[in-house]
Amino acid sequence: MNTDQKALQELLFQLADDDFILAYRGSEWLGLAPHIEEDVAFSSMSQDTMGHAVMFYEMLEELGAGTADDLAQLRKPQDFRNAVLVERPNGTGHYMEQPNYDWAYAVARTYLYELFKWVRLEALMSSSYQPLVQISRKMMTELRYHLMHWQTWTKHLAGGGQESRDRLQAAIAQVCQDIEGLFSFGPHADAIVAAGLIADASTLKARWLEKASDALAKNGLALPDAFPAPSHDGRAGEHTEQLADVLNTLSEVYRLDPAAAW
Amino acid sequence: MIAQTHDEKLAAFLEKIDNGGKIEADDWMPDDYRTQLIKLISMHGMSEIMGALPEKEWVPKAPTLRRKLAIMAKVQDEMGHGQLLLRVAEDLMAPLGKTREDMLNDLFTGRLKFHNVFHMEAPTWADAGVIGWLVDGAAIITQTMSLDTSYAPYSRALHRICAEEKFHAQHGESIVLALAEGTEQQRRMLQDAVTRWWPALLMFFGPPEGGKISSNQQMNMRYKIRSQTNEELRQVFFDKYVPRIFHLGLTLPDPTIRYDEAAGQWIYQQPDWDEFKQIVSGHGPRSVQRLDLRKLSYQQAQWVRDALLNNTQQAI
Amino acid sequence: MSEQAKPNGFDIYEVFSQRTPTSSFVHQFSLLAPNHEVAMSMARENFLRRDSVVNIWVVKRDDIYVCPPEEREFLERLDNKAYRETKGYGDLQSKWRAHRERYEAEHSNNQ
Repeated sequence: MNTDQKALQELLFQLADDDFILAYRGSEWLGLAPHIEEDVAFSSMSQDTMGHAVMFYEMLEELGAGTADDLAQLRKPQDFRNAVLVERPNGTGHYMEQPNYDWAYAVARTYLYELFKWVRLEALMSSSYQPLVQISRKMMTELRYHLMHWQTWTKHLAGGGQESRDRLQAAIAQVCQDIEGLFSFGPHADAIVAAGLIADASTLKARWLEKASDALAKNGLALPDAFPAPSHDGRAGEHTEQLADVLNTLSEVYRLDPAAAW
Repeated sequence: MIAQTHDEKLAAFLEKIDNGGKIEADDWMPDDYRTQLIKLISMHGMSEIMGALPEKEWVPKAPTLRRKLAIMAKVQDEMGHGQLLLRVAEDLMAPLGKTREDMLNDLFTGRLKFHNVFHMEAPTWADAGVIGWLVDGAAIITQTMSLDTSYAPYSRALHRICAEEKFHAQHGESIVLALAEGTEQQRRMLQDAVTRWWPALLMFFGPPEGGKISSNQQMNMRYKIRSQTNEELRQVFFDKYVPRIFHLGLTLPDPTIRYDEAAGQWIYQQPDWDEFKQIVSGHGPRSVQRLDLRKLSYQQAQWVRDALLNNTQQAI
Repeated sequence: MSEQAKPNGFDIYEVFSQRTPTSSFVHQFSLLAPNHEVAMSMARENFLRRDSVVNIWVVKRDDIYVCPPEEREFLERLDNKAYRETKGYGDLQSKWRAHRERYEAEHSNNQ
């Protein structure tokens, strides 16, 4: 594999794994959201996000990286390229037992991630890799609804009284602990940018900062002044223990017999 | 002529439904009609909401990307069905001053029951398939029977639900067929799940009448809320599914089951109806755990609902 | 509508949708929400997951004035208004045919 091919695959894994793992976290909320109507709406967005991950895995499949199902379910944690932010648990407990989930964190994480995703897709619209240009346009269509939806939640939690506002602001601070990890392209960053696949990380970060600050300022909220260096660089395959748990769950059935038709 | 006395109103009401007329939430209705509907529809709605939980266990674990998406959509639909039915129940209980919150509290205290099947364990992926194929199959039968119910809002909800249940049944069939056509391990998993679910599926339709229809059933039929008995529905289920189970080379944990040509019905071994009573009164294998899950998530999100309300009040 | 609950203090919103720019709005169902904005953010996914829509209305149920049940009987009318409908004009086709045939017969005679 030459440098450009390697760079392309690395970027595709980042795109696919971010969406895949966040969609998994979203699916853990199924049946547990604060309001029944919201439960239904949130699930649609988790499905959209997992659908986007599938589109990226299928692009990798076409490049000969392996089948989409194998890529999603049989790689080891250190082969995953998602940012650590998306693998963070929804709270303490397990989705089947004592899920002490934090809705403020769900709103803050999903909204700030999806704003980043918007910026990243916008940048991919001028990618040198044509299939990424086309796919980005499609995904942005669905993302518009997500952003409207999370903006509404941000507004309502921000304006929902002191407790709610404090919880949301705390969740934003918690998300921002991991935010730098989104703006890493990992060890192959130079090759990714040199191949013209996407704008460089600092450009993405500047655009995201502008968007996220505006979105929060509208609701009297703010981002922290500085973001700590990430505890793990997910793009380099560094992950928390939680990712291993997530992957074990995701592949529990498939691993019984990956050769079987399911 | 507008009826004035209670008897005149009742007579007009009965004449209307006997002629195929439909009742709306704001129409006059006898108190016991309202009570029956609230009982039936709130139980149906809560069963959908509680039914999301056993299947939800398999959402992340579904074995392929396509199956993960499909089962997520399916469980989402169950929540959506719960939403439709609870809305219908809420409008019925509004004149009594009761709300969705009261229904949830009734669920937590055990006053409001949910279907026996959702108290059961779903320990393997094949259980997710069997729930989609046979539990949803059973649900389609009972819901289709009620499509023509005299209560129009329930009928409208059921029309939406039945349209989606067709996708659910296909989703379940697709999982089951893949397992049936698969490896020895997959077939064994499927057989175990069918064996495990069989008694619960029989119980799903409720106890047989044994020649004597309960006063509840009688009232539901008089009011055209439902049109068939538990046993009639169970027989429809056998007609449709027993042959298919055998066509897949699967067995049932009932060596006596057979179609009696002369009697024109299936002869089968009764499940343990005492156990059924135990299960629906909250003593099933997973009753406590699932109720705890629902209760915990509801309580934890109280601050969110408060915030939404605060916001509205401030905005006005 | 007359039955108005305030479940959790939330209001009931009726959801309507339009399938194409030239189709009419159709009522879908109702949901509970604290206000219009939240109702709108949940409306499509609750009732239109498998349908294409170009527009959605959410209407607070309190704001709908519904024909009271006892007055709905007045919505009935006699079936004696064929003159308003195309079925009241079923003789036109045969008349036109007769005129055409007479005309064609006259013309063929003149040739």
